[in-house]
Amino acid sequence: MKISLFVTCLSDALFPRAAESMTRLLAKYGVKLEFPDIQTCCGQPAFNSGYWDDARTSARTILDAFEDSDFVVAPSGSCTYMIHHYSELFKGDAEYLEKAKALQSKVYEFSQFLVDVMGISDVGAYFPYKVTYHPSCHGSRLLGIKDEPIRLLNGVKGLELVPLPYAEDCCGFGGTFAVKMADISGAMVTEKSDHVLETEAEVLVGLDMACLLNIAGNLRHRGEKVRVMHLAELLYEGVSVHERG
Amino acid sequence: MSAAEKGQTVKERARDALGNDFLRSAVRFTTERLRLGKKLAAEEHGNWDDWRERGRQIRLHTIAHLDYYLNEFAENARANGAHVHFADTAEEAVAISLEIAKHASAKSVVKSKSMVSEELHLNQALDSIGVEAIETDLGEYIIQLANETPSHIIIPAIHKNRHQIAGLLSREAGEDLPADTAVLAGFVRTKLREKFLAADIGMTGCNFAIAETGSMVLFENEGNARMVTTVPKTQITLMGMERIIPSWSDLEVMATLLPRSATGQKLTVYMSGITGPRREQDADGPDQMHIIIIDNGRSLQLGDPEFQELLNCIRCGACLNACPVYRHIGGHAYGGTYSGPIGAVLTPALKKNVAEWDDIANASSLCGACYEACPVKIPLHDMLVYLRRRKVEAGRGNKAETLGMKGFSVVMGNAKRYRNVVRLGKLGQKLVVRNGEIRARIGPLKGWNTYRVTPELPKDSFRDRWSKVEQELYSESAPMNPEVADRLSKLMDQRKNGGHGQ
Amino acid sequence: MTNPVQPDEWLKRLEARSRAKQETFMDGIAAKLGRERVRTRPKHPFRGAPDFWKEFQLPIEDRIRQFTANFEAAGGHVVRVKNRAEASTFIVDKASEMSAGSILINDEVELSTLNLASSLPDAIVRSWNEDQDENWRAVASRSDIGIVMADYAAAYTGSLVVTSSPAKGRSVSLLPTVLMAIVPVDRMVTRLGEILVRFDEAGREQLPAGIHFISGPSRSADIENDLTIGVHGPGIVFAILVDDDSDA
Repeated sequence: MKISLFVTCLSDALFPRAAESMTRLLAKYGVKLEFPDIQTCCGQPAFNSGYWDDARTSARTILDAFEDSDFVVAPSGSCTYMIHHYSELFKGDAEYLEKAKALQSKVYEFSQFLVDVMGISDVGAYFPYKVTYHPSCHGSRLLGIKDEPIRLLNGVKGLELVPLPYAEDCCGFGGTFAVKMADISGAMVTEKSDHVLETEAEVLVGLDMACLLNIAGNLRHRGEKVRVMHLAELLYEGVSVHERG
Repeated sequence: MSAAEKGQTVKERARDALGNDFLRSAVRFTTERLRLGKKLAAEEHGNWDDWRERGRQIRLHTIAHLDYYLNEFAENARANGAHVHFADTAEEAVAISLEIAKHASAKSVVKSKSMVSEELHLNQALDSIGVEAIETDLGEYIIQLANETPSHIIIPAIHKNRHQIAGLLSREAGEDLPADTAVLAGFVRTKLREKFLAADIGMTGCNFAIAETGSMVLFENEGNARMVTTVPKTQITLMGMERIIPSWSDLEVMATLLPRSATGQKLTVYMSGITGPRREQDADGPDQMHIIIIDNGRSLQLGDPEFQELLNCIRCGACLNACPVYRHIGGHAYGGTYSGPIGAVLTPALKKNVAEWDDIANASSLCGACYEACPVKIPLHDMLVYLRRRKVEAGRGNKAETLGMKGFSVVMGNAKRYRNVVRLGKLGQKLVVRNGEIRARIGPLKGWNTYRVTPELPKDSFRDRWSKVEQELYSESAPMNPEVADRLSKLMDQRKNGGHGQ
Repeated sequence: MTNPVQPDEWLKRLEARSRAKQETFMDGIAAKLGRERVRTRPKHPFRGAPDFWKEFQLPIEDRIRQFTANFEAAGGHVVRVKNRAEASTFIVDKASEMSAGSILINDEVELSTLNLASSLPDAIVRSWNEDQDENWRAVASRSDIGIVMADYAAAYTGSLVVTSSPAKGRSVSLLPTVLMAIVPVDRMVTRLGEILVRFDEAGREQLPAGIHFISGPSRSADIENDLTIGVHGPGIVFAILVDDDSDA
């Protein structure tokens, strides 16, 4: 059985801890990930901006990388959802269209893979902090990942989960949107941070490093100390600490 | 004149809006009230997704057979005694309206809320032939007195506070009115009651037109649409060509979806079905009824697989209330008749996707809240991407962005190149990183770093670390947890047998 | 158009123009949809509400409870009386309490048996369209109370339905300050759809010009989200539910 890691370029280059924590956590269950290093980016930045030719070039590396995989798991709901656009992107390319359909049926976001596929909702972690969770738009709305992360967080001992007001509102990232419409995006992320601060949580956790990069960047800009983590990081840290006793 | 016509860009319009604290808090307050109402109403009603799907199917079916149903509607409306007209363009619709007004020797027209009429800029046209056009929806009346355009489909005067409203109405009253809602609304009731009774023509939009009986249906809360269709001698209905539903039975689905999605009401205070002019012995209702069926760019969506569903829209405004961008910039920043996510798509689409090369389609983070809110499941977030793509394909992409995406494609097309670029980035960032962060507002980080700091690239990327991680974790071959292994095998079998796997 | 044209002639010209345009309009739609014109009724597999909903029926007492809750939540008033005599008493009491000077009633048998004119000697009580030469819209606009029979009511949305006819003015439920609607409880159904489907069954030729669903007093939230009642239509609305609406 071949289970592959779709690292996503953002986690690869900027946040390797998210992907590594995920890898280490899955290893606890004897789930060995394979890492095809011909993968680059899912192509979402180009796709969403309307540059579909450019998106295809990059998307092909993903389709080639995971052609033989039985399962593919990624530390991002947004990049996972991007795979669902591939049938549209490769409508005119029979070979890659076939690969696109195949990949869509076997790619999972991290919490989805852990809860829905592996059947694990308590990883045996201990994490004695006040935590709030931001559900990223693509994962929660478009992939329907709603309960999975909550179940995982509820399974963590010592963790106090506080609801984030207006949690479902977008953080304002939106890829190139944050650059092109910087003022609107800035207003959105400022509001999101306000809500995070309202909870008085010590930790903000999420499933997408892009959104977390955005919110953390704004919190740091405001001099706020809230720790921002990917769920895999939180769980793995919680498991390691617990094991050390 | 709309903001777009003034030559402002989306960014400039957005910046104006973002600097207006009253606007932002008013828009936030209103949209939150409406979206919470919608959420509660949908939950209370139950099976909401089944209803949405039903609504979508009815709309899809009707639009797919629009020539049949629209024709049937026109024939039945005529048989009811109404006069039916067809207009390809806004100009034609205006010309027909003016012709009717002249023949009725009209001095004044009372209007109930109609987004189509906003498309036509009809009030100015009527004014040009000396006919007074009076908006009678309270919000529209306020907007008309302020000489502005609506900023929300459902709540047109969302951006005005009571003091501004009191000022506008005092000018009209010729005396100082207090900024008290009951007093202001009372003044409008009295003032407009005279106008209703004196008007020669009543003009309405049309929420739904029922093909099988030639009836048109209006949803409203104030009663002004009823006034407009009851009191004046001549009535004109402006109707987008896609407003059709086949039957009254189908109206139950629309009546379930529309008010709940718009305001969270189970039904608007009034839902009126008007079937032709007054019957001969009736003592009220119009003597003459005209229905103007308007294309004005709608038919451009027909047969376009990416945009045909746009015609399914029932104009509830739920996507505006759900949209985090709309909440911050309000309706006018969109620069067109329609605002919010639906406006961002509809405005360029009605102009064949090309005439309006405004950047409005870029003013979205593609969060999908509009799709989730839409009672007929229009994938607006996808359509925004299609608009962006069409702009690029037409060679109208932003120059710097086009170059950037070319670079993206070169780098991301090959993992080695990608890896080298990341390494290069680690070297390059040394110039700007301070204490593990980049705060400098330079290059593409200019806007980003106005609101954020950027973390530095770590020493090793994931792929740099992979061989070490792999060796550490997998050198001893621990077997997979049997329960997990079992679940995975079962899933693979399901997939082989045609199951979805997800 | 500056020449005086007979209105009929003008309308005929408009109609000829409209009919010609109709063909090109529909042909254009079919062409854009990439097929021939559809000229026979297409099969509509999704007509009306989902099946599970069509089976939804409440017993009468639940209907009344639900109607009352919804109508009151919208700002309307609901009273329940045993018979028409009690309805008459209620109306007379209310009209006196509000010092109503003018009352307009639809010209329906059920309403004439309320004997309002004799019970309210100080008020002017008129029946809709009783005199062909009167401007009835203006009369309605001057009236304090309009009284109508509801043709139907729907519990689930808290709506009553009035339809127009020579004897039943649309203005009566719209222009007066107060609306009183008598709803015999046997006219109350559970869902909107039960009423709507009757219009399909009746067919075009049987439909009245005006069909109005009324679910409370006229309202607006256009000034700073502040709810205002009675902005154009009646601000005070009573639904008078009558258990036994026989003439006895």
